[in-house]
Amino acid sequence: MKDFISVSPLKILEKSSKGGLGAGHLGVLMARAGVGKTACLIHIAFDKIFRGEKLVHISLEEGPEKVASYYNVIYSDLLKALRWEDDDEYRFLMERNRMILAYLNQSFDLARLSASLRNLAERLDFRPNALIIDGLDFEAAGRSMFEGLKKAAGKFQVEVWLSALSHRHISEVNDNGIPYPCHEIDDLLSIIIQLQPERSGVLLKLLKDQDRYPRPVQSIALDPNTFLALP
Amino acid sequence: MSEIQKLRNIGISAHIDSGKTTLTERILFYTKRIFAIHEVKGKDGVGATMDSMELERERGITIASAATHCEWKGHRVNIIDTPGHVDFTIEVERALRVMDGAVLILCSVGGVQSQSITVDRQMNRYGVPRIAFINKCDRSGADPYKVVDQLRQRLNHNAVLMQIPIGVEADLRGVVDLVAMKALYFEGPHGEEIRVDDIPDSLIKEALARREELLDAASMFSDELMESIFEDRVTEDLIREAVRKGSISRMLTPVFMGSAYKNIGVQPLLDGVTQYLPSPEEIQNKALDLDKDEAEILLTADPGLPVVALAFKLEVTPYGQLTYLRIYQGSLKKGDDLVITRTGKKIKVGRLVRMHADQMEDLTSARAGDIIALFGVECYSGDTFTDGRLNYTMSSMFVPAPVISLSITPADIKSQNNMSKALNRFVREDPTFKSHVDEESGETIISGMGELHLEVYVERMKREFGANVTTGMPQVAYREAITRQAAFDYIHKKQTGGSGQYGRVAGFMEPSEEGAFEFVNQIKGGAIPTEYIPAVEKGFRSCLEKGLAVGFPVVGMRITINDGKSHSVDSSELAFSQAAIGAFKQAYRKAVPVILEPVMKVAVEGPSEFQGNVMGSINQRRGLIISATEDGNFTTIEAEVPLSEMFGYATVLRSLTQGKAEFTMEFSKYVKLPESLAEELKAELSMRKKGEKK
Repeated sequence: MKDFISVSPLKILEKSSKGGLGAGHLGVLMARAGVGKTACLIHIAFDKIFRGEKLVHISLEEGPEKVASYYNVIYSDLLKALRWEDDDEYRFLMERNRMILAYLNQSFDLARLSASLRNLAERLDFRPNALIIDGLDFEAAGRSMFEGLKKAAGKFQVEVWLSALSHRHISEVNDNGIPYPCHEIDDLLSIIIQLQPERSGVLLKLLKDQDRYPRPVQSIALDPNTFLALP
Repeated sequence: MSEIQKLRNIGISAHIDSGKTTLTERILFYTKRIFAIHEVKGKDGVGATMDSMELERERGITIASAATHCEWKGHRVNIIDTPGHVDFTIEVERALRVMDGAVLILCSVGGVQSQSITVDRQMNRYGVPRIAFINKCDRSGADPYKVVDQLRQRLNHNAVLMQIPIGVEADLRGVVDLVAMKALYFEGPHGEEIRVDDIPDSLIKEALARREELLDAASMFSDELMESIFEDRVTEDLIREAVRKGSISRMLTPVFMGSAYKNIGVQPLLDGVTQYLPSPEEIQNKALDLDKDEAEILLTADPGLPVVALAFKLEVTPYGQLTYLRIYQGSLKKGDDLVITRTGKKIKVGRLVRMHADQMEDLTSARAGDIIALFGVECYSGDTFTDGRLNYTMSSMFVPAPVISLSITPADIKSQNNMSKALNRFVREDPTFKSHVDEESGETIISGMGELHLEVYVERMKREFGANVTTGMPQVAYREAITRQAAFDYIHKKQTGGSGQYGRVAGFMEPSEEGAFEFVNQIKGGAIPTEYIPAVEKGFRSCLEKGLAVGFPVVGMRITINDGKSHSVDSSELAFSQAAIGAFKQAYRKAVPVILEPVMKVAVEGPSEFQGNVMGSINQRRGLIISATEDGNFTTIEAEVPLSEMFGYATVLRSLTQGKAEFTMEFSKYVKLPESLAEELKAELSMRKKGEKK
């Protein structure tokens, strides 16, 4: 488990003031298309799952089968990288502690999310510690969506990680240095991480850490194939 | 184009209510195989042509696959009808095996439903290229564009529209062909006259945009098309050739649409079948050479080579047993001799026919690629036929083990005789259907893949064979498996006058990941003489049928033997086989056996408002929910649930969801039965045994 933290992209938060996101808060992982947001989110998911915490993975673009196969691919990369033996215990944790919810064709909204989370708690006694929301269109969602998500995060006592798609041609930045598409909802987000492709690999930059905007920006390098932190 | 290049063997596969039978009926009408159109549940009492069995007619569903032949614009098309219900998996898989391509029908209202997902998964397993037809575009709530998105998202197809609808729901009038950029209207009493016209103004923008998408997708498969797009000299042939390449390589799924019931869009779909689905030559088929340790052999659809054919379906007709054959290589003619690879038995080709559902056409010969039927051949479904020069078998098909069983008792002597006839027949037709007589209770037990699977056979017994039977409660097929390694060292010794028996067997047993039994021989220096090793293995195998923990079959075990001893006079095959049985008994308990139960992959689909109820019902059944997918107002919940908890679930689900949800299930894996339930089960079994003794 210890070795996992040493390679997890979440390592970047070790230096953070509170050591993590925490229930009731929203965190964002932003990058341009194809850089590896989903892979990074799944690493965050494994970090939760292997700690024995419960997680709901919400996918707005891919069906559950594809999401599950991403997990399997990343799991086998992890085994290789850490030289772990495939262990029933890990698979058991993955099966029991992860729930995949998919909302296809714009069927995602706050009321449905709340209804599903309530159903999971009441019917299955599945009370997640963290939500991962992959594929939300920030621009179309609007501010009210994020206010609602933050409220839900408090109500259900979960931390919420979202992926955000940025574009090369949109260079808007707010006064705190937070770029599009997070620049207008900066106040609702507790952690903002940016994934940036560099010639040497992928750089993970901590743009916002709770209420701080660290300067200089802290960063760690990731292996561009496995998205694991390089030593 | 050669004869074989103009041959298509296709399946039509779909969710139960998406209109498969209606579409097939229309195809047969337009290809002039039938001269009147019937509805599925025909008011005229005739019923659609493909549903040949009485039972199917009554239920309005298709259970058994039949092959039918038709001709379209110089192409010969064999249509293999596939059952829609997942419980008849083996029928579906057999049909998939012999088809070279398929039409996947989707309902434009219901879209990609859980069953479509299962069928699609099976098609992937057999590498079947397909084109899609979005049916029922005339229904209220029809949204073909949504269905295309679902094809992409839920089934991972690179789906591309070949057409767009002209009007939808009640206003559906025709389709726009995005290759020719023309509007097609279907006129005449049965839509047999196609009027080609300009695209209506209101649709030009949409049509251009969708054609752009089509060109983008198709150009991935043809550099020539790519160049012609840049140079603005795209031709219809270039597009078709590119789409064909994409489709045959299963990287692209062309999508057609219409309404079979309203006679809209069927003929262009037939064009699509001939244009975008492969001929038998373009598909790789493999056989196993039994003379070369089952080495894989590529078959060539060449009529001049020695014949290889597969019996994929048996049917009893009023004229005798009919065996459907797919010829993969070589040719056949009346009077030829064929050899069944499994038995080595020789048969003579008597009547050779081509089937059209219930009617038939006599042939004198048939060649590679053809699907035909023979009369009066004694064989099993799945048998391979050759002319005797080759010892090939078509690669063994994936046959799942039965997971559920049921006792059946005939009502009277007549029923008893008929029941044996029926069972004899069913076992030949369907390898997932098994029957045996229980030694202890003397009852006849049938087993299969699900409740409905067995129900249909019980129905067929009554209707087709006149066997009235009563059924017992369904029983789950439990298994035993060991969880630890345990060593054995056993001497079998007997001296009671005359020649004695002596054999010593030593080694260990351990759990293995593979389901099948593995036997590893590590004997060195002839501690057990080589000629007795098969007897040792046989001894061990005989113990697997009935585990010593509760008496269920043992799975997932590897036995390694590494030492032993023999006696020059007293050792024999019998002695070593007895020694193995003793060794098994010695080690089995030490290896901590557990009971395994079958777990099913269950998908429940219904309106989202019932999500909570459905989740609750699965949780109560010891189910593990894997995912929930919301799409529009529908939610699909995927879960793994022990089969023993699924009995009667259809009724429960109906009452929980006002009949608006449905579910499918297929076998997933065997999992350890929880300790407390294992104890309950043991107690129940011993009670039952006591009851029987009284």
